[in-house]
Amino acid sequence: MSDAIKQQNESLSTLNADYAAKYGFHDPVDYFHKGARGLNHEVVEMISRMKKEPRWMAERRHEALDIFYSKPMPKWGNQQALGEIDFENIYYFMKPIERQQDNWDDVPEYIKKTFDRLGIPEAEQKFLGGVSAQYESEVVYHSMKEDLKKQGIVFLDMDSGLREREDIVKKFFGTIIPSTDNKFAALNTAVWSGGSFIYVPPGVNVTVPLQAYFRINAENMGQFERTLIIADKGSRVHYIEGCTAPVYSTDSLHSAVVELIALDDAYIRYTTIQNWSRNIFNLVTKRATVHKNATVEWVDGNLGSRLTMKYPCIQLVGEGARGEVLSVAFAGVDQHQDAGAKMIHAAPNTSSRITSKSISKDNGRASYRGLVKIHKNAVNSKVSVECDALLIGDDARSDTYPTMEIDSEKVRVEHEARVSKVAEEQLFYLTSRGLTEDDARLLIVNGFMEPFTKELPLEYAVELNRLIELEMEGSIG
Amino acid sequence: MTTMNKTDVEYTIPEVTPELERGPVWLRDQRRASREAFNVAEVPPRGLHLWRYTDPKTFLYDRDAVADTAYSENYDIVEKIELDNLKNGNIAALATDLGGRDIKLNGADELAKQGVVLSSLSSAVEHHHELVENYLYRLVNARTGKFEAMNGALWNDGIFVYVPDGVTVDKPIHLLRESGLARSSQFPRLLVVVGKNAELTLIDEYGGGSLDENEGISHANGAVEIFGLEDSRTRYVMLQRQASAMKLYLTHRAQIERGASMLTVPLAFGALLSKENFGVTLNGEGADSNMYGLLFGSGYQHFDNHTLHHHAADNTSSNIDFKVVLKDRSHSAYTGLIRIDNDARTCQAYQENRNLLLNEGVRADTIPELEILNEDVQCSHGATIGPMDPESVFYLEARGIERDEAIRMIVSGFVDHTLKTVPDDLRQRIGTFVAQRLERI
Repeated sequence: MSDAIKQQNESLSTLNADYAAKYGFHDPVDYFHKGARGLNHEVVEMISRMKKEPRWMAERRHEALDIFYSKPMPKWGNQQALGEIDFENIYYFMKPIERQQDNWDDVPEYIKKTFDRLGIPEAEQKFLGGVSAQYESEVVYHSMKEDLKKQGIVFLDMDSGLREREDIVKKFFGTIIPSTDNKFAALNTAVWSGGSFIYVPPGVNVTVPLQAYFRINAENMGQFERTLIIADKGSRVHYIEGCTAPVYSTDSLHSAVVELIALDDAYIRYTTIQNWSRNIFNLVTKRATVHKNATVEWVDGNLGSRLTMKYPCIQLVGEGARGEVLSVAFAGVDQHQDAGAKMIHAAPNTSSRITSKSISKDNGRASYRGLVKIHKNAVNSKVSVECDALLIGDDARSDTYPTMEIDSEKVRVEHEARVSKVAEEQLFYLTSRGLTEDDARLLIVNGFMEPFTKELPLEYAVELNRLIELEMEGSIG
Repeated sequence: MTTMNKTDVEYTIPEVTPELERGPVWLRDQRRASREAFNVAEVPPRGLHLWRYTDPKTFLYDRDAVADTAYSENYDIVEKIELDNLKNGNIAALATDLGGRDIKLNGADELAKQGVVLSSLSSAVEHHHELVENYLYRLVNARTGKFEAMNGALWNDGIFVYVPDGVTVDKPIHLLRESGLARSSQFPRLLVVVGKNAELTLIDEYGGGSLDENEGISHANGAVEIFGLEDSRTRYVMLQRQASAMKLYLTHRAQIERGASMLTVPLAFGALLSKENFGVTLNGEGADSNMYGLLFGSGYQHFDNHTLHHHAADNTSSNIDFKVVLKDRSHSAYTGLIRIDNDARTCQAYQENRNLLLNEGVRADTIPELEILNEDVQCSHGATIGPMDPESVFYLEARGIERDEAIRMIVSGFVDHTLKTVPDDLRQRIGTFVAQRLERI
């Protein structure tokens, strides 16, 4: 081997060597109770006891576990990947030694360091109303600005929510997504830990987005957040959930349940940027119930994970209710993003829109799977569904599986889907103006994503564009 | 004949049946394989997406009631109309098929002068055995599914059409497939081979069946296989106007080679319940397939239609336009899949499904699917569901047109765009079928 080639190889081998440090950073952690792998009624009882939960919640958990055992795995979607999940090889509960902190200064240094890299404190100073930063299975830090408190807004981690506002939690927990809904919802109900609990009183407008960062930081550990957001009559709230995760060598399961309730005239927007590392199974159940003249919007970005199956659902149960799902999926090497939306019209004069954008690159596979259901009484309802897919690379795959079930006559339903690659003319146009082909392609992809990115807060949009840039590097040839 | 017991959960085809024991060894082998496949295959679970809207058990029935089937009096009228059409030179030939039992041919001799074969399948097995052996069961067979296997085992006789290389059949060949009255069951089968650079237009009309649910349902399970060889041009119109107490399961598969074109026109008008599956595989470079479907539902009719365009070669193009009009308490479920293989480059595929709902109480489901396995494609689909524009009805009524007539005019306008894309000579013919159906809407 010539010296030149040797040198080149050496420099190549160091390329991305800092990946783990840059994106997959994880600190050595000292677990108070790591429990054992696997799932049974004892584990469930232990979780409930450690959290000092009321008995009704413990019973819910046990009941859910039995449902989990009795439910089959989904018979559709990526059967091969689903078959690889080993439920017995997962930790169902962990918690750091540290107890919940009220003050940022009291947050242990090593956890802070992790958050620093994620940019949380800065984001808080600049922009955020409150931080509910989830580290491992439980919230360790939680702050809330004074003015939020004054307005009567409850923004807690779910465990604290259950302690402090048991009345509300008991009334709404599991009413939107019962344990019987699907296997993973049952699993979550049995072993849930952390997540956010938000209650916005009538007429209150939360002017700053509420935000929580989730992280998984131990090998083979599942996270089962449980989020419940209730927007009382005429209130408005925007919640942002974002994930980054360290790189691991073996598969890990993430299975959250998110329930939203928008009472009359309320507005909820729920923004997610999901960027789990590429060994994680992300099987999430998200559903919203929207009452009279209220609005719910899911803004959903799926960039990471090995397999994501996520179909945010909106049930329009009140007259004049409105629902919107805006989602973006990026499927890179060995990834399968199986995402979509479910829109259930169950009241007159309801309207909804689904916009789905997906990019499949290399051997990545992006699937849109959706359901629009219009019940008989939902007269004068309107639905519009648009799915755009961009394919980059010879082995990229895109699927579209929309289902529309229309049981009412006086409705308007429109569905459109397009699949294409980056157009040669566009590339030619841009390169003839002096852009490199790489830059031109990136520009086109960013343009494709723009309807999504423009809905994100600025720093998220910037972060997303950077992530896409990283993904697109060297995509030619 | 051995009987399948209706109360049995296990509907099985017995091992020894006369219809399986005829013909050459290869045919008996195929029938046996089909029978075995049917007997071991589970009834498809309802959760499976193609079975979400129709209970598969509908198509399990006592096939024995066929013994002495009677046919509707209307059949004579329909046959006479087509015989007149033949006499007047509107069609090239007429084949009538009574429940897959009695196949009669008119005009086949004339076609034979061009080397074109129009015959019963049983006769073709004898006289054109190489062709039949090569093509029969290639697209619809024991592996396709439980009900395709059922046809494969139980078809009695069917129709065979062959057009030699370079030959153009300049007028349509009309096939009249009549189902028997109450409690009858039939397994119609069709095999078509269109040679290189040959041209064929086929009108495949499914009629008859039980007229009254109280007297009993009648059943048909049909299989259609069409091969378009290189540079061939094939047009296939499937007119389904079966009677109101008829249940139909039909699987159509076509495969077209390099440079070939295929026009498929499914007209789903009749039957109480029908599940029809139309699929074209674009198997050679430059192949082109168009599908124009029209569906009119009224009363308690239930339609479950699938279309498939499978791109298996480079530079292939496909287009589907499937229009649905529903009235009374009718229900339509449409599932359309476009699949583009990884090694099929620079393909174009379009699909459109529009649903017009004429009154409350109807139900329309649409599932337009895409599976795209490479980047070098242009592909889109669209679906709409909506009511009639009340303003249009008002506009027409204000001009003294009666409401029913106004609705008919609006429906005609809705399907007109599709009819306009059909070639001239066929348009008139299809227009007549559509007009006849509209009269009953």
